[in-house]
Amino acid sequence: MAYSGIGRKVRPNGGFELAWWFFMRISGLMLVFLALGHLTITHLINSVENINYAFVASRWADPQSGWIWRLWDLTMINLAVLHGFNGLRQILWEQILSPSKRVIASTIIWGLAAVLIIGGSYSILLFQENREYIQKWKAEREAARFAQSARHIQ
Amino acid sequence: MSTSTSRPPQVYRRGTWARITEGLRYGGGIGQWSWLLHRVTGLGILVFLIIHIIDTFLVVAYPELYDHTVAIYGGSITGLPTSWSMNGYYWPLRWAFRIGELGLIACVLFHSLNGVRVVMVDFWPRASLHQRVMFNWVLGIFVAIMIPVSIWVLLPLRHAPEMHSRVITSASM
Amino acid sequence: MSTAALASDMRTLKVKIKRYNPELDEAPHWEEYTTEADPLDRVLDVIQKVKWYQDETLALRRSCAHGVCGSDAMRINGVNALACKILVRNVKGDTLTLEPILGLPVIKDLIVDMKPFFDHYKSVMPFLINDEPAPTTERLQSPADRARFDETTKCILCACCTTACPPFWSDNKYVGPAAIVNAHRFIFDSRDRGAQERLDILNDAEGVWRCRTVFNCTSACPRDIKVTQAISEVKRALLGGSIEMDRDPLQIIEA
Ligand code: SF4
Ligand code: SF4
Ligand code: FES
Repeated sequence: MAYSGIGRKVRPNGGFELAWWFFMRISGLMLVFLALGHLTITHLINSVENINYAFVASRWADPQSGWIWRLWDLTMINLAVLHGFNGLRQILWEQILSPSKRVIASTIIWGLAAVLIIGGSYSILLFQENREYIQKWKAEREAARFAQSARHIQ
Repeated sequence: MSTSTSRPPQVYRRGTWARITEGLRYGGGIGQWSWLLHRVTGLGILVFLIIHIIDTFLVVAYPELYDHTVAIYGGSITGLPTSWSMNGYYWPLRWAFRIGELGLIACVLFHSLNGVRVVMVDFWPRASLHQRVMFNWVLGIFVAIMIPVSIWVLLPLRHAPEMHSRVITSASM
Repeated sequence: MSTAALASDMRTLKVKIKRYNPELDEAPHWEEYTTEADPLDRVLDVIQKVKWYQDETLALRRSCAHGVCGSDAMRINGVNALACKILVRNVKGDTLTLEPILGLPVIKDLIVDMKPFFDHYKSVMPFLINDEPAPTTERLQSPADRARFDETTKCILCACCTTACPPFWSDNKYVGPAAIVNAHRFIFDSRDRGAQERLDILNDAEGVWRCRTVFNCTSACPRDIKVTQAISEVKRALLGGSIEMDRDPLQIIEA
């Protein structure tokens, strides 16, 4: 057996790049389920043609299951933004070699990521159903249905 | 031989363009192509993600604008001369978005499957010996899922959408 | 086999070489030669035939001609290899395309400047570090401990791997697979005490974390070193804070 059983210890290294490398694998694995699940629900089970304000509201504002959807979307958005922008940073780092330009590039990247994370989390957490708007939308849909069937009858 | 005046010897350093073209010609095989695809799909998803977070922001801020935006995804748009379409519905628009949607699903699926393969290579010592087989699995699963999904996503294009009621909603904006 | 039979096996090869004259050219250009080649000739023989009988200005590096010195790495039909280890028999088609390896400045024709490559190599301290008092005999090691890093001792520093690596093509600050292979050779040597320092050097954006597991290095290595696997082992050592002396935990479970 080619195994001596000796494992030499070294100080755990930690560090910025290692942390990011690890984060990329873990967030990637989580996103496989979160993002593919999200795509399945919105694009396959439902369809982009049926998704609208009322659909989003019915998920996020549901008194029982609303928090599940919000938690799902919140986790997904935050992981995806960090995963995506760190990936972009890795690509750019191969092209941009000068340290000062790297500082500029990371400022832009993380600035943009922060805006998206704050904006995205804001939409998900502070969303409140606009009942009035949904009522109006339903009424108009009925009117449209009626108009359409009227046209068919003609 | 050439008669031009010679100069002190210089080394040749490849510029960005030469790096890209010569790199693409490198016969790296499966590993290199999957790496490139992983990058391209990743960047594609990132662009979509940015758009998607912005349009979701509209849900909170401007519900009507949100419905107007998603109506465009379904091929309906207002504000154009009515003579151009039937009731604000434009089939090329709808087709473009449906095909784009399929592209997005393909990107996410490939990026996920290939990502799992990379993670396995990183965490499972022996995986790197089987990377070719693993890439074939990635491709196999990708094709097996994409065929039914493509049919499912493209099938509704046979008919015009049942209703384009949202057009009317946004008309009242 | 008779000489006649052998002679009939001769192939006519079109040899396309990327030439660069450092005193005249702005950028490299292609030049074509035609030559007869025996299927059992090495690509190196073909190049020398061209140099000796057709164009003596052609510049290349080579020394041992037996895959030992690592000096004739070049891009042969698109992939990095040692010209002295590829037989004409294994060249597909009738064209032999020869280019200098990527990612390093070209000095002349097929010769590149290896200094950046060796600087990266030196940066991982490729020598035994052990301050403990030397025993009167050798520093002993069990066969199993020796086997742990056997594969990475085989590197001949030809640069086939590093110059096949896409991240290295654009980012020449990346230490590159060859340097990591040579760090691996000492990190996993039970007689060495410098693992921590080497790991600290490699734990960097331009160290092992630049590797994107493309596997180009592994397929290019003329010594059949599983380069990507060695890199993964270094990554795992960094992650876990311990050097697994066992090559493959799964093999132990199965054994
Ligand atoms: S496995 Fe890593 S070091 Fe090897 S070619 Fe790929 S990116 Fe480069
Ligand atoms: S690891 Fe292989 S390809 Fe890389 S320098 Fe060593 S012998 Fe050459
Ligand atoms: S000439 Fe020495 S390795 Fe090819």
